[in-house]
Amino acid sequence: MEISFPGVKALDQVDFTLRRGEVHALLGENGAGKSTLIKVLTGVHRPDAGTMLLSGQPIRPGSTQEAQKMGISTVYQEVNLCHNLTVAENIFIGRQPMKRGRIDWKTINRRARELMLRMGMDIDVTQPLSAYSIAIQQMASIARAVDINAQVLILDEPTSSLDDNEVVNLFAVMRELKAQGLGIIFITHFLDQVFAVSDRLTVLRNGRLVGEYEAGAISKLELVTNMVGKDMNVIYNLQKAPRPDEAPVVLEASGIGIPGKVEDISLNIRKGELLGFAGLLGSGRTETAEMLFGVVPVHQGSISIGEEPLSLRAPLDAIRRGMAFCPEDRKRDGIIGDLSIRENIALAVQATRGFMHPLPQKEQQELAQRFIKLLSIATPDADKKVGELSGGNQQKVILARWMATNPDLLILDEPTRGIDIGAKAEIQRLMLEMCKEGRSVIFISSELDEIIRCANRIIVMRDLAKAAEVDGDTCTQADILAIIANEGEGEEAAV
Amino acid sequence: MKKAIASGNFLRSKLFWAIVAELLILLVGFILRPDFLSIQLRTLSDGTTVLFGTPVDILNRASEITIIAMGMTLVIALGGTDISVGALVAVSGAIALKFLRWDVLVYNTPGDYTVQPFYLVILLPLLACTLMGLFNGALIGKLKIQPIIATLILMVGGRGIAQIVTDGKQFTTQYTPFKFIGNGSILGLPLPIIITLVVVLGVMLFVRRTSFGMFVESVGINPNASRVSGLKSGTIILIAYVLTGFLSGISGLIYASRISSNDSNNAGLGYEMDAILAVVIGGTSMTGGKFSLTGTVVGSLIIRTITTLVLYFGVVSEAIMAFKALIIAVVIVLQSEPVRNAISRRRDRIRTQMGGEARA
Repeated sequence: MEISFPGVKALDQVDFTLRRGEVHALLGENGAGKSTLIKVLTGVHRPDAGTMLLSGQPIRPGSTQEAQKMGISTVYQEVNLCHNLTVAENIFIGRQPMKRGRIDWKTINRRARELMLRMGMDIDVTQPLSAYSIAIQQMASIARAVDINAQVLILDEPTSSLDDNEVVNLFAVMRELKAQGLGIIFITHFLDQVFAVSDRLTVLRNGRLVGEYEAGAISKLELVTNMVGKDMNVIYNLQKAPRPDEAPVVLEASGIGIPGKVEDISLNIRKGELLGFAGLLGSGRTETAEMLFGVVPVHQGSISIGEEPLSLRAPLDAIRRGMAFCPEDRKRDGIIGDLSIRENIALAVQATRGFMHPLPQKEQQELAQRFIKLLSIATPDADKKVGELSGGNQQKVILARWMATNPDLLILDEPTRGIDIGAKAEIQRLMLEMCKEGRSVIFISSELDEIIRCANRIIVMRDLAKAAEVDGDTCTQADILAIIANEGEGEEAAV
Repeated sequence: MKKAIASGNFLRSKLFWAIVAELLILLVGFILRPDFLSIQLRTLSDGTTVLFGTPVDILNRASEITIIAMGMTLVIALGGTDISVGALVAVSGAIALKFLRWDVLVYNTPGDYTVQPFYLVILLPLLACTLMGLFNGALIGKLKIQPIIATLILMVGGRGIAQIVTDGKQFTTQYTPFKFIGNGSILGLPLPIIITLVVVLGVMLFVRRTSFGMFVESVGINPNASRVSGLKSGTIILIAYVLTGFLSGISGLIYASRISSNDSNNAGLGYEMDAILAVVIGGTSMTGGKFSLTGTVVGSLIIRTITTLVLYFGVVSEAIMAFKALIIAVVIVLQSEPVRNAISRRRDRIRTQMGGEARA
């Protein structure tokens, strides 16, 4: 089986070969052309030049449906299923087996169960999809994709919202499918995972092919250098600022909470400090950040800025007090997809000014240009729609929106999720720089090494409450993991 | 190169196809009756000169819908809708006529004159409609009630209010200054056209010179992200409905002036649907987001041109609605994304072929 197409627009002379029964990782920074390649494969875009061969036959899919019929199925980063339907319905939606003019529910449920069992999921397929975790939902979408006689399965960032166990499970399924003769294209930003499951890798950069490698024949550092195109050592040598123990407290929260969501969180952050929030997804990190920024109302406790008590009715109140917030769900709470980069960057500044005092076009343009340059946002001009940018560049635009307001305190909720290693390092560098300028940063992340590398102090969240506070300079990943995992110990960890 | 891309986008836009549709409809009219497009200056018996002709008539008669549709564009861009505008038109006329015919209503001394200061006849209907817009806006922006339900209240209740205001009676007036609003002309141009121009330019300036337009689009595209970015979506929504209420009031005055009367049952009947249609044909999506006021103006003209065409060619009045619907269906199909893409693909292909030959 071979698919190749030299000379696609946005993709330049890229050859790509996927063999039957292999896991082939597709790597590259944001905007390197991975998505474009996938879109060509699945018939969303048509290539301007070049050919695609599937099992030796030339193909030219005109739509995703056509591509699916040919045997190319895709599972996207966001689960594209209906949460209110059952697992079985989701797997068979749109192609329900019929019996005497009616939907054959028995067959649907039996076959859905078989499919899920084949992937090691012993679950009740007649329950609504929403009853299960994201991991199982993802398995259901894989089951759906595989059942459509797939020869090629494309997994686009399948692991970004899974925990470690779930990832192991997914890999087992991938190996199983591989053994059944499927060709799997695996796109991810997690390099460890690439090495754990892939047979071969293809690296793209700026729409061009950098190279194709056997997984065993290339080191991680080499791979990253190939992806980024520059020496990664610079990025690994980040220096965090010393812990500002003497600096004044910028924000203090005492006992804030929302019954049933998060309870009794107390914290403070000093000028120039980088405060990390560690903990599992759903441990209450995001809720705490949202309370601090006025996204959700605080039911208990109080927040004060400097000496003044603060009552937040809406995010605008927090923004006016010098706060900024990059939300976890970039798509839902961050970008305004159809507006231009310029408008997206100017949005928060404009919101504080009110609509009757518009920022002149020229100033907007300058603002946008300045941040496009400063954050090296990959775009031809500031008038491009944000929705058309890659994930990492969207994240940078949101960051720019907040940097433009010149905040004293930035809350960044998972700012590095789903973006490539180069952009990740850049965002970490920016955070540290902002601290050096005397701003304070609250940095929420699921990746412990990232938090430890950057934070002066780390608050560990567990079960919707603050479990401990540890020193960012002396603690190790193991310490934090112990706190997250443990009920009794770790509470007394050094502050 | 850049220009070519820009024009390519324009060819793919709904606005372009709306303009094409409008021109096609005019062309059909022209082919059937060559005088369909003629414009002439005529001198009336009182010595004033006025522009005459179907195109002028279309512009004139499109006023009521165009004015309302300016507000409706913002409402729809915010992901909402306002189905009370037609009823507000009736309320506006009712209040105007009440104050024009205070003589009958209060003093019971019929006479063809007004005893109220004339400015109240203009201001009070506008004020009432603005307040009703505020009511809509508060329900939707502040209490987060679904727009179609919230505006349904005044859609039903508005005509009732109009009946109460006038004790269920229908008045006529011969008061010249009032009749001038819908029937007069300045420098040969019918006054409704001038009012429409002022409203359209006013709304465009307000929306694009301030950041209001950007805020509307932002909230329409992604309300969550807009809130997190510091926008007060409730206030923005409120303003859009207040504006729509106010504009419905203007529209109601023009209508009442044209017929020199109030008509609680028929004034503004179906305007909400025409206004929504004008907005959608103009390229603003019902799901909210980016909007085009220019597109809405074209959309409104299309609707009026169709109506005029149908009337002009003496289609039996029972069939007018069905005929109108048929033409609108064609316009909307022309504008749908698959059709637009198919046409522009075809054009691209022809162009590539021609380009290839030229190079060869």
